[in-house]
Amino acid sequence: MTLEKKIKPGSLDTGPDEGGLSRRDFFTAAGAAGVGAALAAGGGTEAAASPIASSSMEWDYEVDVVIAGGGCAGITAAIRARDAGASVLVVDQNFDLGGRMLHSGSFLSLGGGDAIQLRDMAGEADAEGFITVPPVEDPEELDDSVDLLFTDVTDWSIVDRKAQSPYRYNDRELMRAWAENCPATREFLMANYVRFTRINGTHGGGGLSRARAPYCFLMLGDRTDIRAGTITAEDAGVADPERTSAMAPVQMEDASTFVGPGAVRNGVALARPLEFSAREKGVHFMLNRRFTDLIREQPFEGRILGLRASYSPRIHPESGQRLESFWQNGNVDERRETITIRARKAVILASGGHAGNPEVRAMFYPAMREPAFPTSGMALQGPGGQDASALIAGLRVGANLSGMQQNLSYPTTFHIATRLGTRDAYTDMMPGHPTFAFRGSAGLAVGNVGFEEFIAVNQVGKRFFNEVRLPKRPGANRYPGDGGAPNRGVAHVPNDWRNCRSEWVREMYNYDHGLDAALAMNEGSTAPDYHSGPIWAIFDADAIERTGWELRFPYVNENNGYYFQGDTIESLSRQIYMNHPFQRVPLRYLSQTVETWNGYVADGVDPEFEREVDAPMYAISRPPFYALSIMVVWHDSYGGLRVNGRQQVIDMRGQPIPGLYAGGEAVGGFNKHGLGKGHVHGFIAGTHAAAELG
Amino acid sequence: MGLTHARTMTAVALAASILAPAARAQGADGANALAAGQTLYEANCAICHQSSGAGRPPAFPDLRGNDILADPYVLVSKVAQGLGNMPPFPTLTAEEIAALATYVGSAWGNSYGAPTEAEVAEILADFDPPMAPRSIWDGVYTEAQAERGAQVYRAPCGICHGTRLNGAPDDNDMIPGPALARHNFLRIWDGRSLGMLYTYTISTMPQSNPGFLPPEDYAAIIAHMLAVTGAPPGDAELPADAWELGHIQILPAP
Ligand SMILES: Cc1cc2nc3c(=O)[nH]c(=O)nc-3n(C[C@H](O)[C@H](O)[C@H](O)COP(=O)(O)OP(=O)(O)OC[C@H]3O[C@@H](n4cnc5c(N)ncnc54)[C@H](O)[C@@H]3O)c2cc1C
Repeated sequence: MTLEKKIKPGSLDTGPDEGGLSRRDFFTAAGAAGVGAALAAGGGTEAAASPIASSSMEWDYEVDVVIAGGGCAGITAAIRARDAGASVLVVDQNFDLGGRMLHSGSFLSLGGGDAIQLRDMAGEADAEGFITVPPVEDPEELDDSVDLLFTDVTDWSIVDRKAQSPYRYNDRELMRAWAENCPATREFLMANYVRFTRINGTHGGGGLSRARAPYCFLMLGDRTDIRAGTITAEDAGVADPERTSAMAPVQMEDASTFVGPGAVRNGVALARPLEFSAREKGVHFMLNRRFTDLIREQPFEGRILGLRASYSPRIHPESGQRLESFWQNGNVDERRETITIRARKAVILASGGHAGNPEVRAMFYPAMREPAFPTSGMALQGPGGQDASALIAGLRVGANLSGMQQNLSYPTTFHIATRLGTRDAYTDMMPGHPTFAFRGSAGLAVGNVGFEEFIAVNQVGKRFFNEVRLPKRPGANRYPGDGGAPNRGVAHVPNDWRNCRSEWVREMYNYDHGLDAALAMNEGSTAPDYHSGPIWAIFDADAIERTGWELRFPYVNENNGYYFQGDTIESLSRQIYMNHPFQRVPLRYLSQTVETWNGYVADGVDPEFEREVDAPMYAISRPPFYALSIMVVWHDSYGGLRVNGRQQVIDMRGQPIPGLYAGGEAVGGFNKHGLGKGHVHGFIAGTHAAAELG
Repeated sequence: MGLTHARTMTAVALAASILAPAARAQGADGANALAAGQTLYEANCAICHQSSGAGRPPAFPDLRGNDILADPYVLVSKVAQGLGNMPPFPTLTAEEIAALATYVGSAWGNSYGAPTEAEVAEILADFDPPMAPRSIWDGVYTEAQAERGAQVYRAPCGICHGTRLNGAPDDNDMIPGPALARHNFLRIWDGRSLGMLYTYTISTMPQSNPGFLPPEDYAAIIAHMLAVTGAPPGDAELPADAWELGHIQILPAP
């Protein structure tokens, strides 16, 4: 990192080179509270959060474009608006940038005939000459167009193995805008230091007609230099198998097959280059700052004028220190409790989805209101990540929602994770990143087959499902025929009713509903919430011998409440009850359950769940006995704010809310996974936001 | 696509009603061959062609109403020698192949008939005789090959099957795959040959782009799987040759 210029609090009158951010210093906290209180529509406690502005409103900061959230959609929008000459301020509730993009796998589905598809089709290397392997995909697989992509992502006839259709409910205007902007977004990312590997297929359920997804990579080298495309083994987290770095929360993965020797990939090779470029171009960042409310001229009328944001530092549990971002230049260190920021042109909501907010999750799937179960990446993001802040603030100014049922049709949305013994069970992270402390353990990744080795019990210690089938996910779209992508010699007729006829659904339906059993009521569920409670994997010393599982730090942690060991089942139960934060009742049936299970093992028959059909059954009899937490994880969010093809947020009357844009997981009507969605949304929103008159 | 599909659905329905009488029509020997053939089919063929015979076209052909079955020479040579996505089964005897042919020739509504044991033996005489059978516990790969396999494995396979080959994906966004080593692997592949594993892997993996690695890499990956499973290395590499690999059986640890 060569840019070290740091903007200090109180001296923010910067020139156009730094982004033209200006600060009005005559703010008083009491004044702002007064404005809120005077105009609050319905309630004293929420006064400070009133979404209405008055003519006497004083703003703490003023800038052309304010972006809530510095992740996938947010940073993209920031660079794009800044490229067009706007001053840009990004507020992020976390201490560092990148959002979920930073710990993603960087598998980035775009397409429509984008530059990487063309490059691989021609069998060419990248401009820098890092790529030394031939293309992975045949040229026919890469032959794509905007029209084909659009047809593909609106093909209503394709269902997944739960018989849900991800595309049937997509908003066509959004899909068209997305398809048209995919090629430009690919080039935009490449122009901002993002390097792409060979294309390797695409996301299941992300549109299957063509190979559209490469990973993002960096080359291992002597120094970390984004411009040169290199990263040290230490920064990449590959120098030590059990340690990562502040730069890479998730250790980078080998990408040699898709690039050549020495290439590593994951979201670090996407998020850090974009962040580097944004800082270089003069985007301002206000970290540790949680946006809470939009400020509009009238409650449900007029322009969006700006937003309100509150201080949200993340304090390291051991050191007591505030966590600081990896890079600092462009940061605005503002520590007042609540501030207002005026957006001369527009506000862009890019603060992610609702997967981490159990109360809002209930809008989509009431059984997932159980707070024991988190979203993916909760350690890195903290409690403010994925907390539905965009959705909530949008509703308060009259925004419409879209695609409320779309969470049901993607296999990663909610499922049982196969990483045990950590709350943050979707992502992995090793010590070395400052937020490791919030998870305490990396978790033990056992795969689906690991579930053959134990019994799974609910909060009262009873088995509730066939363990072997418990972690199975429905899988993505199935095209009739070979069930895979309609390439490789399988002709596919889009929008043909036969693609989803009931005979085909009967043939390929393969969902076991273990998740629903895990969320079911049990004897420990009490009114008014009837929470299902946590679930536990119970096994013994023999299981360790069979599997070689390493029950030690950093995989498990004796003190974080997600792993227990005892000489008897009784002591195991007691410890869980005493030390797990969501264990509300004793596991009073556990001893009996283990005894019954051992009887089934002796008989070779499990009358309750027919386990003998699926895999061998093992007695749980040799101490010590172990318990590892099993998590239901809500990963992606698919329903959210309704937007149009320009990413403008739409109100209940179908009209755009002037000055308000949104993208990424904050929006609905767009059932497509991850980064491909977020970057294009950010690209479109940044383009139009910067063009507003202001 | 949809039309083909409609036809095959009807075929399934027909198979259910026809199979039973057809089976009953066989003599006592015929019935034994049929039962033996079905057992062999389930153990060796169903993984690709499915118990229903429907296969997974285009990689794995549908055997219902498949006229290739009418030609004993093609059928026997394909089973014994393999071709493309079809692994060779060089250790099957003429009697076993005849039983298999009896089963697939009459199951699922098929009525192709089948060559006799003697006819099968005659066809087999055209090919190299089988090599001595071995098992994965006989030192069938080299340490260096397994090490190279570990390198090749990491990026394209580890994404879903995991660095530890336990089916826990390295990439969190991928759906867990089957275990590729240790007791789970041995149980699932028990009794099958490395030739079958090798051909199956090439024709199905990696899922997004089956077969894109060079054949030697697939052999090296299998060597890595055997090493992690605890099978001992030996002096010669696993050959990247389905027929030779077809002589090496996956069996429980001795
Ligand atoms: C482990 C993992 C692996 C993944 N792998 C892939 C992959 O390989 N390919 C793929 O396509 N997708 C992948 N994804 C999904 C992808 O990362 C996300 O879908 C994408 O990043 C969402 O973009 P976004 O901009 O909506 O949200 P994010 O990238 O999460 O950014 C949201 C930002 O907003 C901030 N924020 C939240 N609330 C507030 C608030 N109130 N005020 C201010 N800031 C706020 C957050 O701190 C965060 O920085 C993966 C996700 C995870 C967790």
